Amino acid sequence: MTGPAPILFANVSKTFFKHDGTPFFACRELSFEVKAREIVAIVGETGCGKSTSFNMLLGLQKPDVGDIQVLGLDPFSESDALRGQVGIIFQSDRLLPWRTTIENISFGLEVLNIPLTQRRQTAGKWLERVGLKGFEDAYPHELSGGMRQRVSIARAFAIEPKILYADEAFTALDELTAERIRKDLLELIRETAITTLFITHSVSEAVDIAQRVLVFGRPGCLICEINCEENRAAGKSTHEIEQLIRQGLRVAHKTMSAEGAGEGVATDEVVRAEGSTSKGREPI
Amino acid sequence: MASNTTSTHPSGRIKFIGELGAALRAQQPLFVGLCVIAVLWQVSTYFLPRIIAPPLQEIGVAMWQIFSDYQQFVHLLTTGLRVFVALIVSFIVGSILGIAMGTFDEVSKYAKPLLHFIQGIPALSWVVFAVIWFANVELRIGFILLIVTMPAFALYIDGAVRSVNLDFVHLGQAFRANWTQRFRMITIPAIVPEVMSAWVVNLGAGVRVAMVAELIGSTTGVGFQLLNAQALFDMAGAIAWTLSLVALLSVYLGVIRFVESRLLAWRPKGERQ
Ligand SMILES: Nc1ncnc2c1ncn2[C@@H]1O[C@H](COP(=O)(O)OP(=O)(O)OP(=O)(O)O)[C@@H](O)[C@H]1O
Ligand SMILES: [Mg+2]
Repeated sequence: MTGPAPILFANVSKTFFKHDGTPFFACRELSFEVKAREIVAIVGETGCGKSTSFNMLLGLQKPDVGDIQVLGLDPFSESDALRGQVGIIFQSDRLLPWRTTIENISFGLEVLNIPLTQRRQTAGKWLERVGLKGFEDAYPHELSGGMRQRVSIARAFAIEPKILYADEAFTALDELTAERIRKDLLELIRETAITTLFITHSVSEAVDIAQRVLVFGRPGCLICEINCEENRAAGKSTHEIEQLIRQGLRVAHKTMSAEGAGEGVATDEVVRAEGSTSKGREPI
Repeated sequence: MASNTTSTHPSGRIKFIGELGAALRAQQPLFVGLCVIAVLWQVSTYFLPRIIAPPLQEIGVAMWQIFSDYQQFVHLLTTGLRVFVALIVSFIVGSILGIAMGTFDEVSKYAKPLLHFIQGIPALSWVVFAVIWFANVELRIGFILLIVTMPAFALYIDGAVRSVNLDFVHLGQAFRANWTQRFRMITIPAIVPEVMSAWVVNLGAGVRVAMVAELIGSTTGVGFQLLNAQALFDMAGAIAWTLSLVALLSVYLGVIRFVESRLLAWRPKGERQ
């Protein structure tokens, strides 16, 4: 694979403020990249800044320091140039309640100013593809959680994006439904050879789908990465790869507790202390 | 806007009649209450002088005259048209202001207290001001209706724009919808429920204020007819004009409810009134 990586984080830091005004890091010196057509998962403890890094990828928030590039563009300042390039599946389906299934799937196409007939045709195709034929005119409240998430998957793919983001797309679903939809999503990802970055809390889900798994520690930094494909090629079983990731998560947890301040208070002192430890990719 | 595929359903008409029937059934307690009052009224007419309590027949005849005699009916139409046109203008002005307020904090910061201040001034004061300021009757009434109803539109819409679910706003941003697209595809459908509530509130207020305005500053309309009835000590007429006004308001509210039910067809049944 040549050319610049579709997703690139270089030394990105983002600070938020607590109620009492003290600043804390949500992301600190976060660097990683996702290559074209790669499927990458992010795992990490709750509150470690996964969604924050996603929001920055989406251009919803601006990093304080560092550089983010999506397809070679800055998602915050060059937002328009990325229109139609990125498909998103959110944790909550975020279907617009006043739109029918077909209209919800058309959302991204409408943003791209695609004419109505063509919009409906494309949306219809994706509706069928995610197995919701017959529910064209149903409103979100008339659909089950699984069906709604399918609609949101169809909405993401309908614009034929180059990159797919998914933030805990299956957490709101029961195990069985989640597994079924996950399988279908993986099929879609493979079929469209789309560059994919997804957040998950499930280690098995990460190993199931991803070629590479990034383990995040708090506050928002990369603890280690596990290349599932290479590990598989080296003869490791799925279970062993999962163990590797769990080990990474434990390291992340320890790093966090060792920091004492825990939440990663953005004072000079802590930053300096942090700078001197060997941060980043630990050998696993 | 949101959906235009609902009304072409083959059973649409049957459904509509069904809905209408249900709406009327829901008003049953009101009908019962009105019947009780009518009976009490009729009984009282046997004990009270006619000038104070005219019998129902007389009120019925007066009503019949309003609706059958164009010379009289035109007064009801005039009031209806005044309220309608003024509310449309008020809605447009209030929407623009409300959206600006909901979008820009600075606008809201200054406009909100001012609107509350205006709302605090009694409608009757505006009537007096308008009579002094404007010679033209329609301008007077239009001004009064605008000043009384516009703040509610603006404040309702301001609040609605502010409370649009942030998840949906982010959805629009994540799909890189531009401002106008986000406004059309997310903000407008999201604020429809509040807009409809504002219409209901303002229709009631508008009709009441139009009465006062016509009573003091006009020679046409239901308000003027009420003044006439008072001058002639025509109790039956006064009641008939009042009832016809209530009928007008009910028709308007019915239209609003109908529009609302079409625009909010996407809501689960339990969430609709
Ligand atoms: N807009 C904001 N303002 C202030 N603090 C925020 C904001 N957004 C997130 N945070 C904080 O930043 C930290 C990281 O949050 P984030 O949502 O990125 O975590 P996460 O890894 O996605 O967690 P989860 O797994 O629970 O979804 C949290 O402590 C959160 O409270
Ligand atoms: Mg999150």
